[in-house]
Amino acid sequence: MSSFEELSHRHDDEARMAEPDSVPRGAPILELRGLQKKYGLVEALKPADVTFLSGEIHAIVGENGAGKSTLIKLLTGVIRRTAGEVLWCGRPVQLATPTEAISRGINAVHQEVVLCPHLSVAANMFLGDEMSRNGLMRQGAMERAAQAVLDDLGFHIPARISLGRLTIGQQQLVATARAAMRGIRFLIFDEPTAYLTRQESAELFRLIRRLREQGVTIVYISHRMEEVFELADRVSVLRDGAHVGTRLIGETSEAELVALMINRSIEQIYHKEKVPLGDVILETRGLSGPGFEDVSLSVRAGEIVGLYGLIGAGRSEFALGLYGRQPLSGGEIYWDGSKVTIGSERAAMDLGIALAPESRRDQGLCLNLPIGLNINLPVFRRLSSGIVIRRSEEAANADRQIRDLRIKTPSRRVLASAMSGGNQQKIVIGKWLSHGARLFVFDEPTVGVDVGTKAEIYRLFGQLLKNGAGIILISSYLPEVYELSDRLHVFRDGRLVASHPFRGASHEDVLTEAIGI
Amino acid sequence: MSVETTETAPAPKRGMNILFGLTLLGLLLFLWLLLGLATNSFWTPNNISNLLRQGSMTAILAVGQTFVIITAGIDLSVGAVVGFTSVIVAWLLQAGVPLWASIVLTLLIGVAIGAFHGFGIVRMGLPPFIITLATLTSLRGIGLLLTNGSTISINHEGFTDFSRADFLGIPSLFWMVVLVAIPAFVFLHLSRWGRYLFAVGSNSEAARLSGVNVTRTLYLAYILSSTCAAFVGLLLASRIGIGNATQAEGWELQAIASSVIGGTSLFGAVGSVHGPLLGAFILATINNGANLLNVNSFWQRIVTGLLIIVIVYFDQLRRRSSR
Repeated sequence: MSSFEELSHRHDDEARMAEPDSVPRGAPILELRGLQKKYGLVEALKPADVTFLSGEIHAIVGENGAGKSTLIKLLTGVIRRTAGEVLWCGRPVQLATPTEAISRGINAVHQEVVLCPHLSVAANMFLGDEMSRNGLMRQGAMERAAQAVLDDLGFHIPARISLGRLTIGQQQLVATARAAMRGIRFLIFDEPTAYLTRQESAELFRLIRRLREQGVTIVYISHRMEEVFELADRVSVLRDGAHVGTRLIGETSEAELVALMINRSIEQIYHKEKVPLGDVILETRGLSGPGFEDVSLSVRAGEIVGLYGLIGAGRSEFALGLYGRQPLSGGEIYWDGSKVTIGSERAAMDLGIALAPESRRDQGLCLNLPIGLNINLPVFRRLSSGIVIRRSEEAANADRQIRDLRIKTPSRRVLASAMSGGNQQKIVIGKWLSHGARLFVFDEPTVGVDVGTKAEIYRLFGQLLKNGAGIILISSYLPEVYELSDRLHVFRDGRLVASHPFRGASHEDVLTEAIGI
Repeated sequence: MSVETTETAPAPKRGMNILFGLTLLGLLLFLWLLLGLATNSFWTPNNISNLLRQGSMTAILAVGQTFVIITAGIDLSVGAVVGFTSVIVAWLLQAGVPLWASIVLTLLIGVAIGAFHGFGIVRMGLPPFIITLATLTSLRGIGLLLTNGSTISINHEGFTDFSRADFLGIPSLFWMVVLVAIPAFVFLHLSRWGRYLFAVGSNSEAARLSGVNVTRTLYLAYILSSTCAAFVGLLLASRIGIGNATQAEGWELQAIASSVIGGTSLFGAVGSVHGPLLGAFILATINNGANLLNVNSFWQRIVTGLLIIVIVYFDQLRRRSSR
């Protein structure tokens, strides 16, 4: 018996004592019945019925925002369901806390590793479950055991060095080995290969298959179709928070899955103003910087230029580079036909570029400050005489944006943190309306925003275009960029890989280009 | 058409701030009333002047400190800067440098120390706690080296008389608080630079993307704090008539305590000018009252500690309930 199996049996025995349930291979181990999650009025997961079979690899695919992460959080007890039932080995369970999920043998390996980088690999693998004798840790024994497990799994990782010295990919493998060692019965992988090399991916796949042989149920979440077809036994598709189907892998095709992933019905909310295009405002030629390479595109007055791609494809990085937040490593920027250099955010603003960044929380808002201060932040210079701010104008400007954008607040003095996602997004937009730019970059403007506010934001785009501005719209939500963009650029791995005029390619083609099948 | 989101909006923020300021003022007046009843000597002109003199220096330090804390930083060096600059001004005067030049040079030393803090934080990426802790200990060392561990006495009559002088019946040291507080109020509450301090303390990335020069804002906060401390160094040298590097031991904690009692949040983005002023005089009153009541001076420290806990706890409750 290998040391890996020995160790996992040590935990298996403990797990069995705590959890006597067991089901034969191929029988349902976890059943979701009408599982639903609402945040306020927003339905993050519509009532879903999915059955996971013991000892299968079950892939889950869907676009960003389709409800995959909500599902993982529900299964691992991070959030509580709003309605529905979960059956574990045929019996209803709560899964109300992470501890409960772990005690039943449900575990997740996340895309981003959540371990302690300063501790050794071995210490991380045994964290919270250390071997000890007479109250003292058995450092050497743990290191030997961890090393044996890693060797056994075929990972070339020393157990003694600190975790932080490994690559992200190697850390991912350690996290997986750690989970595998603990007698898990149900293991969820959330886009595990996002940061892995080909070699590391191969090692991970070997481990996943080995776990399946031992009867562990694997849920494998990925964007990458080729991995799904290589690994999975069955695949479920989520779209817009709804479970739209489950297929046996042998009875489906990539085309069918992609078709299921995309919402074909074009919603009425994508109302597009048709504005005659004006002169070119901005042009980039071969622009390169951290996270993007050789991007050439142009934006005209009255035009929406959409940038589509998966998260991490380099779209936001391109926006930050253009805006002067990140130093550029090459390429040229032309503004109104003349070459410019943008050395700082202030320089970009002075030129007439506005950026509503990707993350409202981290980049967009000062959450514990009043709405009014947030709206006025870019324009205090204009609102000041000498060093003193003209208070009446300060108030008037904030109140005007609150009124025009219909931000639902009793006063400009309310803290931004008290607002809902949609209203927070309006505050971010309000900042840039009062600044008055000619090129607006909107990075994921409708994430976490309710449908009504979405429609308001799209109408606002129309107004900006009529006033002669140009818009760069970055989105991971294909229907949005597809329906709104006059020109759609597709990013993959930091490069601009395809460009289409309005409705110049099918959803399937665009998604295929972004995923890179 | 649009989905109505239900949210309970908290009461506007400024009303709360005024309420908190009034509570502090009420506490200060209550202490004065209580001491007036408990002792005969509290409401004597002599004692009031003394109280104002005691509180003034902490108050100025606390205002400077508050600028830094609003950016979510901390300046541990202010006590050491006071001691160090008292040595510098004494040394300059002893060397025969004219009074005005001595004062300007001493204040410039304060500017330089603050700029060094800014450099350490922005360019070297050191945490504010560390860089200012380092200057705290080094400045004491440099001051002791310069003086060989002894004190430099100041023979300039005009300089030492200043701290004992009154103007309109109020000690000149207290007028210095007014001199600092009014521009500080304009800066923090009425100018765009003040807004930038809050924005950087709340979310420096959001501030940067809104065109705020975060680097310059941080430099400014630390320079203002150190310059306030250098100014206090001048006042202290004037008051005790000597320059000594070991003076003002622990004043940084007094300044931080005053600021926190005055409603400044150590997490940044919350603070005012009037809060730390009231905080400083509340602390001075407790010290003064304890002396008058013949309470063991060790108790003063204990009471100060308890007061910090109680006031900040109530402030936390207030903030939580406004969420």
